[in-house]
Amino acid sequence: MYELFEHTADLGLRVNAPDLPSLFREAAEGLFSVIVAEIPRRAPAREVRIRVEAERMDYLLVDWLHELLFLFETERLLLDGFDVEIHDTRLSATARAWTVDDARDSLLHEVKAVTYHRLRVEQTERGWLAEMILDI
Amino acid sequence: MGKPPFRGPLERINDYCWRIPRSYKPGMLVEGRIYADERLLREIRGGQAPDQVANVAFLPGIQCASLALPDIHWGYGFTIGGVCATDPDEGGVISPGGVGYDINCGVRLVRSNLNLEQVRPRLPQLVESLFRRIPLGVGRGGAYRFDSRELKILLAEGAGYLERRGLATRRDIEFTEAGGRLENAEPDRVSERALQRGANQCGSLGSGNHFLELQVVDEIFDEEAASIMGLHRDGVCVMIHSGSRGLGYQVCDDALKMLRGVPEKYGIRLPDPQLACAPVDSSEGRHYLATMAAAGNFAWCNRQLLMWQTRQVFAEHFGSPWTELGMELVYDVAHNIAKHEEHVIEGKTKKVWVHRKGATRAFPPHHDQIPQAYRAVGQPVMIPGDMGRASWVLVGRPGSMEQTFGTTCHGAGRAMSRTAAVKASRGRRIDRELAERGVVVRSRSLRGLAEEQPAAYKDVDLVVDVVQRAGLSQKVARMRPIGVIKG
Repeated sequence: MYELFEHTADLGLRVNAPDLPSLFREAAEGLFSVIVAEIPRRAPAREVRIRVEAERMDYLLVDWLHELLFLFETERLLLDGFDVEIHDTRLSATARAWTVDDARDSLLHEVKAVTYHRLRVEQTERGWLAEMILDI
Repeated sequence: MGKPPFRGPLERINDYCWRIPRSYKPGMLVEGRIYADERLLREIRGGQAPDQVANVAFLPGIQCASLALPDIHWGYGFTIGGVCATDPDEGGVISPGGVGYDINCGVRLVRSNLNLEQVRPRLPQLVESLFRRIPLGVGRGGAYRFDSRELKILLAEGAGYLERRGLATRRDIEFTEAGGRLENAEPDRVSERALQRGANQCGSLGSGNHFLELQVVDEIFDEEAASIMGLHRDGVCVMIHSGSRGLGYQVCDDALKMLRGVPEKYGIRLPDPQLACAPVDSSEGRHYLATMAAAGNFAWCNRQLLMWQTRQVFAEHFGSPWTELGMELVYDVAHNIAKHEEHVIEGKTKKVWVHRKGATRAFPPHHDQIPQAYRAVGQPVMIPGDMGRASWVLVGRPGSMEQTFGTTCHGAGRAMSRTAAVKASRGRRIDRELAERGVVVRSRSLRGLAEEQPAAYKDVDLVVDVVQRAGLSQKVARMRPIGVIKG
């Protein structure tokens, strides 16, 4: 489950999930909920594969979301249907991808980056918690 | 994690400046100073921005104080509206967070010979033409394409490259801060990912708080300076606010990734990882500065191309070349940047790295870094307010050199979060409300308009009053919006 929380100039994203793959999937869905009003219902254009590796779990989360932002910005891809696997701090994932259609897709925000300010990835009693501030 | 009020000390230095003493947090190397009057200070106390001012005081080599201007609001790492200077000779650092993701985000103002009465009858059509012709919106590219070789030249040469391509005049370059070029740019150090993100975005506005605004000069406060700038009452101007787009975001992201573990390597203790930094005289510091300069040059080219397209739209609309319409650049200022500048600190002249994060250079009269035409009156500073009330043109004053490393505010500063602004506008159409106030607005997103509505910002008049009374800058003209396009 993800939710947005207040930040004066930007937006905060908080994610709770029972396990790490779900945490990263929900974070990606949260990111795209900030970018686009609705994930398209039309058939996806293609599937993408993503691999990311980092030295720490919180850095892995930042790098994962930055990879998605890069795909969005350079290929104008909206992503959903994430299937995420994590081993140690290595992530591999697949996602369904739609090319932005300006006539049909209502884009909301240009997310410049996921910042390190108050960045958290923590194990909780019920699973995992992540918090981050998105620069808008 | 909402926005708890700041409960630390804010000691009065004078009516417009408040101190956070070093005793507030062990590890502060200098005190914090916030420029505000009592009214703005009450708002500032309502959030955590002062705590961020204190955190910046941890940066090695910081000089005098960690400073914040009256448009200060909670950022990430650095506060927005913050200034700090570091001295490389004292182990001073460079911090990408002190510049931000949108490297060399800034503002330019274009004047014209047109008066409000000439523009008013055709304002809706003019705004519509600008909305259709100026590339804008989330992640959108522009009309100009530069192959990778050209892009690297652009990153190295800045706005001067566009002059060679016939997309800028000599005068445009002269009236851009730093002549539109930071000299230490090394495009070969810019990552392939950054180049890819920037490949088609030069000459595009973006979204969020970026805008292109038609304004009319509402009131003149300094006749001499206004006259030199070509501003006259009821004259129509264009203000453009944008930055380095995806290329800059990626350069900052690359730098922060490179800096993982680096502060620890140099024994630097930081209260916030977004303040990550490296000594200026280190391989990491030099690498960031070379790429930051390239992104800064990209941003100046971006605003130049936005202006160039605007001139074309005006020329078609009014049936005269833009030169006949007098659409000259008044000035272009950066408000997210680090600059290597000379300042007198405790009686000694030092060359320091001034980080301006949501803050504008405001050099006083006779400074050798400003165009000859403005030497007598000081460097022009453009302060966008909000799309319903006002924006300002100021000039730098000697007090800025004495107190804030030649810096003043950069805008009104946000008073409301994005979510609170959307909540406050539920059931209202901001574009219609603005139309009733005589402002024609076109935006790709109604939600974006709600987030950027006038009430989401502090009253820019109050902010500008503080920087004038503190002696940092001086009012030249108040501008009223009449047309806005946003992504």
